[in-house]
Amino acid sequence: MQSKYKVGLMRLNLLAGALLLALIASRQPQLADALLLWLGVLWLTLTAALLEFSHRRPGMLPWQLLPGLLLTGVLWTAPERFALWLWLWPAVLLMPQPTWTLAVNLCLAGVSWWTLYPLLGPFQAVFAGLALGVLTAIAMARRHQTQQPVVRQRVRLVPGLPLWSAHQLTEDLPRERARCQREGVHGELLLLEVPRHQLWATARMLCHQLYDFESCYRLDSRTLAALLLSRDDDQASQRRAALMDTLPTPRKTRFMSLATTDDLETPLADFQRQPVTPAVGREFEHG
Amino acid sequence: MDENAPNTAGRFALAYVTGALLLASYAAWHYLMGHYARILLPALLGLLMLVAAVLRLAVVNHPRLPAYLALIAGYLLLALELPWLEESATLWVGLAPVLSALLLPLMPALTLNVALAPAWLLLCGAPPFSDLSLAYLASMALVPLALWEQRRQRALMLATDPRDRDCQALSSDGLHAHLDSEFQRTELLHQSLAIVVIHLPQVEMANEQFGSRARQALLDTLCREVRRCSRRHDFLGRQTLSTFWLVLPDTSESGAQLVQQRILQALEPVVLVDTGPLRSRMGLCQRLPGEDWQRFRRRLQDLTQRLETQ
Repeated sequence: MQSKYKVGLMRLNLLAGALLLALIASRQPQLADALLLWLGVLWLTLTAALLEFSHRRPGMLPWQLLPGLLLTGVLWTAPERFALWLWLWPAVLLMPQPTWTLAVNLCLAGVSWWTLYPLLGPFQAVFAGLALGVLTAIAMARRHQTQQPVVRQRVRLVPGLPLWSAHQLTEDLPRERARCQREGVHGELLLLEVPRHQLWATARMLCHQLYDFESCYRLDSRTLAALLLSRDDDQASQRRAALMDTLPTPRKTRFMSLATTDDLETPLADFQRQPVTPAVGREFEHG
Repeated sequence: MDENAPNTAGRFALAYVTGALLLASYAAWHYLMGHYARILLPALLGLLMLVAAVLRLAVVNHPRLPAYLALIAGYLLLALELPWLEESATLWVGLAPVLSALLLPLMPALTLNVALAPAWLLLCGAPPFSDLSLAYLASMALVPLALWEQRRQRALMLATDPRDRDCQALSSDGLHAHLDSEFQRTELLHQSLAIVVIHLPQVEMANEQFGSRARQALLDTLCREVRRCSRRHDFLGRQTLSTFWLVLPDTSESGAQLVQQRILQALEPVVLVDTGPLRSRMGLCQRLPGEDWQRFRRRLQDLTQRLETQ
């Protein structure tokens, strides 16, 4: 399932844009324009630095709003110099984004057109507005039509790793529980809390420890869960010991038998209140 | 994603029609101003846009052609009008890189923009390294970013979403990954594993003769009936365009035969609007004791091929 897609070229394009904006910013006599442009440079550079091929950072909303706001700002402060950037609006609208940021961006595009109105004169402004409308219509037709938030709940978070969202666990848990009961297999739910900055490294490590048919879930920014399957109690305790040896130390863990786990909320709330267990300690509830 | 969906075609056609209206009103404007020599071009290009709109609706499988027509219309008008516009040219020249990015795929748009940049700058009379040409270059660099992001998201979705795009089953990649792990699981837990191979001979024909809706009806019916006949942890995956594998973990041969029989009975009375009675061919592949993954998989592929060529 590994994709051959590489983000390198996109990063190059982002940096080229940043470079050009920096060049323009350094030539601006007015402080306000220069400041806005430098902010744009910062946005592009940071985006390039953070860019990666995974769902680890699902587009943060203020982050996606920034380009539209910056564009409005530049057109507001220096319409006479950057009038031609009015046509960047269809590209802003074309970006994959939630519906409400799209609505905000549409309004901002209208505001930008209005700020250019005195500069263009009535007739030209009307034609520019109409042309902008046509381009917006094309951009809307071309927009990538997926309900991102819904889709994100059911995909691997990192390509190639069996790492899923919390929503997927709420679907998998009852199914695995019923299946373990039917097949007489010993199933366990592992809850694991680690410091925030270690989460992704730990998730990767945990995924490599699992069999291919087991899955790992990211519950929140500090908590991971995994479904472990073993033939019987002995094999399960061996696996527990092996896992406890390899996982990083500042952590909190709890193993729960699937047979006694009806829902996720109660044990999860208990777990979050549980004090940090010493590195060697382990806890196993027998119902 | 859905380049051929009727919804998308309608939206594009609408966009092209608004473009045609814009060009027509531009021609009317020239008429009112008394620039009679400049009326003909926007009027003709407006007609071209209308043709593009009709083409987009009529020829569903070639979305590129109308896009090229719209691009040609935009570029021609821009190139021939820019010299007349004098000062306002600094505004309108910015249309060029955006038009190509909106109407072409990423790479052609990038190449075309880079190749034509000197020409556009010359046409609007911008000296090199002036503010105007830098602003033009910056917009040329920023516009494709939206397309890059779209592309990244689409590739990411393909790499991480195990479901098929057309129906409620796993995609081929998702199926193989899942089956691989399920094989390991049954081996570790000493369980049996059975797979029912289901081939729908009408799928390709339905798409060619009746369009995507008839095909969708076939796929939806199959997925619904199979889901009704199977347990929660059995999973259905789409191995090829018209063949599905239903994976039954911890199921004996007699159990699998029962499932197969149940699905046959469920599909038998189904009559669809376009394609008539739903026809299906099924086969059963049971993992033999001690059989390894490679051999099991080969048997499975052979059975699939036999069903498809029957």
